[in-house]
Amino acid sequence: MARVKFLCDTDRCIECNACSTSCKNEHEVPWGMVRRRVVTINDGHPGEKSIAISCMHCTDAPCVAVCPVSTLYQTDIGVVLHDKDTCIGCGYCFYACPFGAPQFPRATLFGSRGVMDKCTYCAGGPEENGSQAEFEKYGRNRIAEGKLPICAEVCSTRALLAGDGEVIGEIYRERVLARGFGSGAWGWKTAYYPEEA
Amino acid sequence: MTDATHGSPASGGSGRQSFAAYRIAGAVAAVILLALLAIQVFEIFDGDNHTVPEVRWGVPPVSGEQTGDSSLVASSILRERATLQGPRAEFGPSPNAQRTFQVGSETQLVEEPIADPDPFLTQEWSNPSDEELAMIRGTDRVEGVSSLPYTGAEVFERPFARDWRLGLADFATHLGALAILGFAFLLALMLALRGRMPIVRGKSERKVQRFGLIERTTHWMTSVSFLMLALTGIVIAYGDTLILPFGDGVLGQTGWLATWGHMMFFPPFAIGILAMFVLWVRHNLPSKLDLNWLAKGGGIFSDDVHPSARKFNAGQKLIFWSVILGGGLLVLTGMLLMFPFWILSINAMGWVMLAHAVVAVLMIAVILGHIYIGSVGMQGAFWAMWTGKVDRNWAAEHHDLWLEEIDGKKGAAR
Repeated sequence: MARVKFLCDTDRCIECNACSTSCKNEHEVPWGMVRRRVVTINDGHPGEKSIAISCMHCTDAPCVAVCPVSTLYQTDIGVVLHDKDTCIGCGYCFYACPFGAPQFPRATLFGSRGVMDKCTYCAGGPEENGSQAEFEKYGRNRIAEGKLPICAEVCSTRALLAGDGEVIGEIYRERVLARGFGSGAWGWKTAYYPEEA
Repeated sequence: MTDATHGSPASGGSGRQSFAAYRIAGAVAAVILLALLAIQVFEIFDGDNHTVPEVRWGVPPVSGEQTGDSSLVASSILRERATLQGPRAEFGPSPNAQRTFQVGSETQLVEEPIADPDPFLTQEWSNPSDEELAMIRGTDRVEGVSSLPYTGAEVFERPFARDWRLGLADFATHLGALAILGFAFLLALMLALRGRMPIVRGKSERKVQRFGLIERTTHWMTSVSFLMLALTGIVIAYGDTLILPFGDGVLGQTGWLATWGHMMFFPPFAIGILAMFVLWVRHNLPSKLDLNWLAKGGGIFSDDVHPSARKFNAGQKLIFWSVILGGGLLVLTGMLLMFPFWILSINAMGWVMLAHAVVAVLMIAVILGHIYIGSVGMQGAFWAMWTGKVDRNWAAEHHDLWLEEIDGKKGAAR
């Protein structure tokens, strides 16, 4: 069985923000919200690295565990999806998310925070696959078409990899062997193996 | 209505009453609550607090016939696609490419609910292979800079968030259920074993004014808004257990109402807390009498023990101060949460949210005790806050010094 993940090769990411931009465009994400962002660590210093980060579709996803209604759910390939029709905008998933992925329309008061939006791994939501309603609420459903998330498929340096964890892990390891160095899979411990020391 | 037990089957005229019906109702409630407590304790230890996939991907049947395992086919489609991200010498625009991208194929994957979600998958995912273990890095880099203009865009990781989940989903939720059910069980048990506390000398049918209109209005405004805040809070905290069986949509609708209601009942509650403090604080300062009252257990163990008290006894003072301090804390933390990012950072808001949840469930348990003693637990007590007038014998038994005080005042006025 496939278990899809994201892997960002920080030795390759050039902070072009094409992943964020193409994501916003593909899903027509509203103003003020962003599903994928690029963070630069040690900016302007030796060892500067950039990483594209979004919802990592965690193992034992904390957002699903704390959701007081049944908005968040996980699928058998690991993708965490949300149901905008039941979301009450409480923000618990935001407190529980280790990657700051859940987004709310312009934060105001408890109760008027609006419904949550987050990365769907380009897998839509509970509406019928490929329907207009699904597109308006969750964006395009590329998984249903047998494709992978646009952010990874558009990445010009192939820093951002998406797909089955074993397959992209193998691609990354071959790459590290060929070039002789690698910074490892950032965020994987928090997202996929929280129990590992 | 002049009789505190009017219409109740146990009401057998004036004089000392046994209130047998109250004992039976208490026993029934105690049994039910004990069963609920047992379920709650089992929930802590049943080890199902891991997130489990509820939906699976598959392929639609070809011409009505399902061929092979639909999930495996879906998996292999996605695996195949992932290999296209390998070296360009093998795939993609290289002239030597062995494969080409397949775009716009007929493939359509579909989702369907898993009838019986299996926790095994989550456990399997949490075990890294040796190769994966070698790739994992520590979580020392948590924040950087981002050129994107969004709140929190510079955050890479917040490993603390996983602990927050334990704090809310495991600690606060279970603690709350244990506190509320456990305390309700003790009260029901007390009603069954101890019985309703009667007015020992019977009703005198002579009334004395205990609470004025302003005191009663303040009390009921605060209590109604507290009840609504508690109920809406319980929907948010326990809706997954209590309302989800009625359907996702019902939970979503109730949750939405609860979210709004929780905010709308906050102003009367906050004003009520403030007003109660102003009205009653001078009667609630601790005194030596309270030690005596507490030493005798407030006379709760015997009908014939009645430690002296002024307007409020030590038990009432404890309720007063837990409402002022607990309620005040709830108002304060609630207001901080109503304005996200105005004052606090995301981590600080996480802690404030946990404090709000823990104080709230404990307050619900405390108020259950208050409601008990003010209604079914003691004959004659309810009327103090409803009509404002209490029976003289009740007042003489429970608030002897206060009765003398107001009698003295009346005498002086004459």
